[in-house]
Parts: sequence; structure tokens; C-alpha cells
Amino acid sequence: MKRDQSNHQSLGSPTNRKVKEARILMVGAGGIGCELLKNLVLTGFGEIHVVDLDTIDLSNLNRQFLFRHEHIKKSKALVAKEAAHAFNPSVKLVAHHANIKDPEFNVSWFKGFTMVFNALDNLEARRHVNKMCLAADVPLIESGTTGFNGQVQVIKKGVTACYDCAPKETPKSFPVCTIRSTPSQPIHCIVWGKSYLLSEILGASEDESAEMDHSEDSENAKEIEKLRQESQALKKIREAMGTPSFPQLLFDKVYKDDITRLRSMEEMWKTRRPPEPLNYDGIIEKAVDVETSKDKILKDGQRVWNLEENVIVFKDSLERLSKRMAEMQSSANGHSAEPVITFDKDDDDTLDFVTASANLRSIVFGIETKSRFDIKQMAGNIIPAIATTNAIVAGLCVLQSFKVLRGDFSSTKEIFLSPFAPQRLLSSDKYRPPRADCPVCSVAQAQLLIDISRATLNDLVENFLRLELGYGEEIVVNHGDALLYDVEETDNLTKKLSDLGIKGDSFLTIIDEDDVNPRVNLVLNVQESTIPDDSPVKGLDFPPPHNADEPASPIPRRKKAIPQTNGHSTLENQPSAQSTKVPATNGNTSTLISSGSKRSVAEIEDPEAPNKKQKIQSNGASKDETIVLDDTVEHAIIIDDD
Amino acid sequence: MALCQNRLQEERKQWRRDHPFGFYAKPQRNAQGVLDLKVWECGIPGKDKTLWEGGLFKLNVIFPDEYPTKPPKCTRLLRPSRCEADSTGKFVPPLFHPNVYPSGTVCLSILNEEEGWKPAITIKQILLGVQDLLDDPNPDSPAQADAYNLFKKDRAAYENKIKRIVRDNPAP
Repeated sequence: MKRDQSNHQSLGSPTNRKVKEARILMVGAGGIGCELLKNLVLTGFGEIHVVDLDTIDLSNLNRQFLFRHEHIKKSKALVAKEAAHAFNPSVKLVAHHANIKDPEFNVSWFKGFTMVFNALDNLEARRHVNKMCLAADVPLIESGTTGFNGQVQVIKKGVTACYDCAPKETPKSFPVCTIRSTPSQPIHCIVWGKSYLLSEILGASEDESAEMDHSEDSENAKEIEKLRQESQALKKIREAMGTPSFPQLLFDKVYKDDITRLRSMEEMWKTRRPPEPLNYDGIIEKAVDVETSKDKILKDGQRVWNLEENVIVFKDSLERLSKRMAEMQSSANGHSAEPVITFDKDDDDTLDFVTASANLRSIVFGIETKSRFDIKQMAGNIIPAIATTNAIVAGLCVLQSFKVLRGDFSSTKEIFLSPFAPQRLLSSDKYRPPRADCPVCSVAQAQLLIDISRATLNDLVENFLRLELGYGEEIVVNHGDALLYDVEETDNLTKKLSDLGIKGDSFLTIIDEDDVNPRVNLVLNVQESTIPDDSPVKGLDFPPPHNADEPASPIPRRKKAIPQTNGHSTLENQPSAQSTKVPATNGNTSTLISSGSKRSVAEIEDPEAPNKKQKIQSNGASKDETIVLDDTVEHAIIIDDD
Repeated sequence: MALCQNRLQEERKQWRRDHPFGFYAKPQRNAQGVLDLKVWECGIPGKDKTLWEGGLFKLNVIFPDEYPTKPPKCTRLLRPSRCEADSTGKFVPPLFHPNVYPSGTVCLSILNEEEGWKPAITIKQILLGVQDLLDDPNPDSPAQADAYNLFKKDRAAYENKIKRIVRDNPAP
């Protein structure tokens, strides 16, 4: 029996042929990636490129089944390629041990793929691939899992919502006041131990000291003296690293002197429990017995340690870290870079130090203490990863990919796997249309050829944007976070684009600030080129004129004059005027609020219409599964994932 | 990312068209001479008829990638801008004020993600908020012991000190 017999039967021969001809990019070869690569290879996709910058870690092995113990520290992409190739040698596999954001993976490289699969674990890379796929107009299948939950989404420019159409939750961060002065939860103390104390003692000190509370003050002599003493005290403490008095010096500073100083601000503690400074000598005296059983404490990471035990671990871990610093310093002898140790949840020395220092701070502030096991999870941001979830999600990705291959975007689905929700295990929605004011996908996209040796900003602004495209006075040219040009920022006009940091594959954003009828933002992907004739700046593949009334500009106008906002901001809850007063009425604010009236998105072909021929048969065994007999594709039986 | 950049662009446009008298706010120039939308140099005048009248206080407003979901950080110039580094090479000293950390970071409820921050708050509102804070410190949330203790214990000395600071930071 031919290997693809079942595919042939289930997909139909046209789709099966497309599978074999497809060039696929898979970004990420981790939890979802291993499962997905296995599926893609077994399905017989013709050519698969795998990109992952990561190396294999011991903690991956329980679920990333392409990897074995002997692969630890090797490239995920390369090992995954080798392992998966054995499943189906007729598939061409290419591995890139690299960052997907590297310049070699530019828009034209993305254009070479039939579709892209994201199997990533972070927002930043997802956003990048989303942007590149929109610029290259290549379909993207985006997926993710968290514990038992997962989701899959198909992204196609102009048809479906893109990754950034929906606002994303951002990781929680804590205000500096809470961490430095008024912690109230164990996590506040853990963040203090991990991000403040550890980096203050073992991090790069010089530059960051500006962030710490020891800066110089020229305002009066007494203060200078006090601050000088304070920074000297810290210096002295750092210098004392490796000496027997080091743990006590540090301990007295952060758990006694700093706390006493904090306590002196009485008003602060009227509504809070004031912090209690700790006395090192007193505790150490009581901890003589504890110290002898040090090794037993360190082995017992599931139990919550008491005050004396935490002090012993504080002292011991600090000694271990000091010793490591000394070794690093002597081996790096002569090299300028000062060695640093940063927090790693799998580095026992740093974990012990963060556990003990966080717990001691918790005791000072009367906060519940935690076990090392719990602190490892909290400090390391560990989200449990479940092999089964990854496997289900990877399977769903491939089912969606068949629709993409057929060009049948109207039947793609957004699928959610949520075992603990009251609904079904898998719930699916029709794809969402693009958000009209999405800052990422509502823009016009085009390529810009520039002669990098001579093109100036003025060539771009005056000759290309104004004369050729018909832009008015009020325009802005941005390059990422850098503002190159607007009506008040004209200093750079005579400079060469290359001197302003523009090169091949840069993205420029043109914003039309015309009040009357502004164009949508235009994103230009820069391509270097030698242009022999007069104009060193040329446009490529500009979108066709939106309608016949606007022959002057190929860039569509915005549907509404209200600028983009994050969409979920409202003015309903004006910050109550306590210590700070936000003006209750403010003319400017209203213009920053999305009106909420979304423009009706350009009608995409009616997804129901072309499927008139479908006969739906109910499967007797399960109401939730339908077998769709689709006779538009020759003899194909499609089991929908609906 | 794009949302942050679009919003900052809009903030700049609104500020350019209308801003309160005596204030300034503009993106800082980077090493290539290009404006960095994520770091703004701002100036806040002391309010009329207060101790702070006649002063102009420089502040850096630093926007995170997650802005406007997350608030910007307001600080007295942590790192000197290019021209200042050229002339003196020193950091502008942090402000003597009960709600300003010794590092220069301003502690203000509307700049706190867990308290008053809302994505709709504009740069203009932030700067007006800091201006209000100058003469109306919040004793419930002290950020530096020196200014706080002087403010609580010896108001006359505190006021003298503020007058001196205003003289050292005169409005043009």
C-alpha cells in the first residue's frame, strides 16, 4: 500500500497533491513544535523548514519526545530534524538553529513558503512572525497552549483577524513602591530578592546603580555626606564579598538598617503593619544547632523553612555564590567584562539565595513565607506544560492547514481547547474578520526600493511621498520607535537614509495626519537596490487605487477620522482625585477614545454560499462529530474538527 | 510594537497642537540624531502662587513596549541626554520631594498600574498631575526619607529648601 493512500482517500487527490508540493515553515521546535513536526512529516508535506534558536534542556524531555537525554545542550531545530526525518525520509527537512528575527529571514524569504506554522512560546516572536507573514502575504497558523488549555487560529491577510487584532494580556509587573517599600504578598518579596537584591550583589553594578537609591545629590552637604556613606557602605559590602563578614554585612544592611530607615517614615505605617528589623547576631546564636543540619535543610525544599533556617540558607548560598564569583573573576583575569551571576530557576545557588532572602523579607513585613519548591515556580514563572495539550493542538493545526492549502479560508476556524470549561472540550468559532483599526494589519503594505548609497530622507518625503503618492504636509515617517520626520522634525531631511539607520529589510511607517481625510498608515518594507536614473527611491507593488475617485493616491483612506487607540480604554472611571488630580474634563482626551463604532469590514465572500452541495450526515455514535461528505472534492471524506 | 508607536505618535500630534503654558514635552534625540518616541524629555513649571512658582523641573518620561496598557515611568533624568553628557557628563540630581525616589522616579497613583493608571490618560494629564504633586505631596506614600521627614517635622526648613531648589531650577 502506498504510504499516502489514506491521505489520498481522506483529502482527495488535489489536496493531497498540494500537501506534497507544499513548502512549510515551522517556527519553534519545542512542546508544540515536536508534535507538529511529527504530524507534518507523517502527513507528507513536501518540504519543511524548522527554525529554533533554543537548545535542549533536561526539563524538556518529558514532553518534547523527539529529544533524548544525549541531546541535552544540542540545537532543538537540528535534533528535531534528524529525529523526524526517520519517520518519513521522502520529506525534505531543513533546520535553522537561529532566531526567527535574524535579518536573513526577511520578507522575501517568508514569501517562499506556502504557509507558516507558529509553535512559539512568547509574545514577541509571535508578533514578529505575524508581521512578517502579513508583509509577505503568506497564511499563518498560530497556536499556543497553557497547561490544559490551548488554541489554534488561522491568519490570512485581508481575510481573518491577525494576531494583534485582539489585545493581549501583558505579564504582570509590580510598581517600584510595592517592591521597595511596601510589599504585601510573598511574590513582592520574591521579586525583590530576584530582581533587586540578587542583581545588586551579583549583577553589573556600575550602570544600574543609577536605578538604585544611592545617587548623588548636590543639594546640601549633610545629604551628600549621608548618601556618600550609604554608597560607601554598599561598596564596602560588595568589596567584602568572599570574606567571612560578607553575609552579616549584607544582612544588616537590608534587614536592619534599610528597614529602620523605612520605619522612620511613620505616616506610612499608620494603616500598615510596620516592618520589624532583624538582628543577625541574635538569630545566629539560636541557629547553632540548625547550622549543623544545613545539608538536611537544603534537601528539604518542599517544607517552609523557619527564621533560623532561612538565615542559615541565606548565609550558605551567599558563600557559595561569592566563591563562584571569585572563581569567575580569576578565570576571566585580564578581560574587561566583570562576571555576573543572574537568576536561573535551575541554578540551586541562586534559587536558595532568592528563597532565603525573600522569606527573610517576608518575615520582616509579616508576610507568609513559602517553600523553595513554591518559590521556584513563582520566581521562574513556571507554567505547567502538558504533553497531551500540545499533541491535541498540533493535530488541530494540521486539520486547519488542509483548508488553507485548498484556499478555503472561509471555512477556517478559531479553535479553543478548554477541558475545564462548562462547554465542550473543543469549541470552535468561525474565524474573526480583521479589526478595522488594528494597528498591525489595517495598514497598507508595499515595498520600497532605495538606492542606499545616495537616497536621502528628503528624496523619500518630498519626491516619493508628496510628489509621487500625493501626500500632504502633515505626514510622519517612523522607523520602529524612531521618529525620522514630521512637520516639526525636519533636521534629518538632508541626511542619507543609511545614516539614519535604514537598510535593506527595514520597515518604515508613514502616518497621514491630515485632519480631513487621512490615508491609512502605510508600511514600507525597504529593499536595497541600485537605481540608475534620477530618483533614488521607488515604490513596488503598491496596492491598486481604492476607488476611481482617488487616482492621485493608491493608499486607501481611513474609514473614520478617529486615530487608533487600544480600543479598550474608556473614560468612565476617571481616576478619583486623591493625591493626584487628573483634570476631570479634558478636550484632548475624547479624541483618544475609540468611538466604538467599528467600520463594517469589507464583505468577504459568504462562507456558506459555495458549500451548497454539501450533504451532512449525522454520525450516530457521537452528536459532536459530523462527517461531512463533500463531493466537490473528488471522493473526499472530510472529518471536520468542528 | 505598533500600538505603542501609534499612540505615542498621536500623543505627539496632540501635544504639538495644544499644550499647557510653560510646559514642554518632546522625544529625546538618540545617538544617530533621530528622535526616540519611547523617551520624552519634559519640563514642568511650578504652579503660580505656590512655593514652586518660577521653577522649571526637568523630567524624563519613559514608555514601555506595553504602553498604553502599562503606564510610562517618570523620572528625573536617569541618564543624561546627549548634550548634557557632553557639557557636564553628570546626572541631573533627583528632585527633593517626599514622593520622588532617591533614584529620581516619581511615585504617583496615576502612574501605578495597580492604582490609577488608565490607558486613556494622556501625557498632558500626567505632566499636570506631576505639577499638582509638587505643591501637594502625598504623605501616605513617601518615597524618600529626607524630604518626607523634613516635610513632616520642620515645615519651615522644608519650605526654605524648596525655595532654594526653585532658584536653582529657574524657568526661562
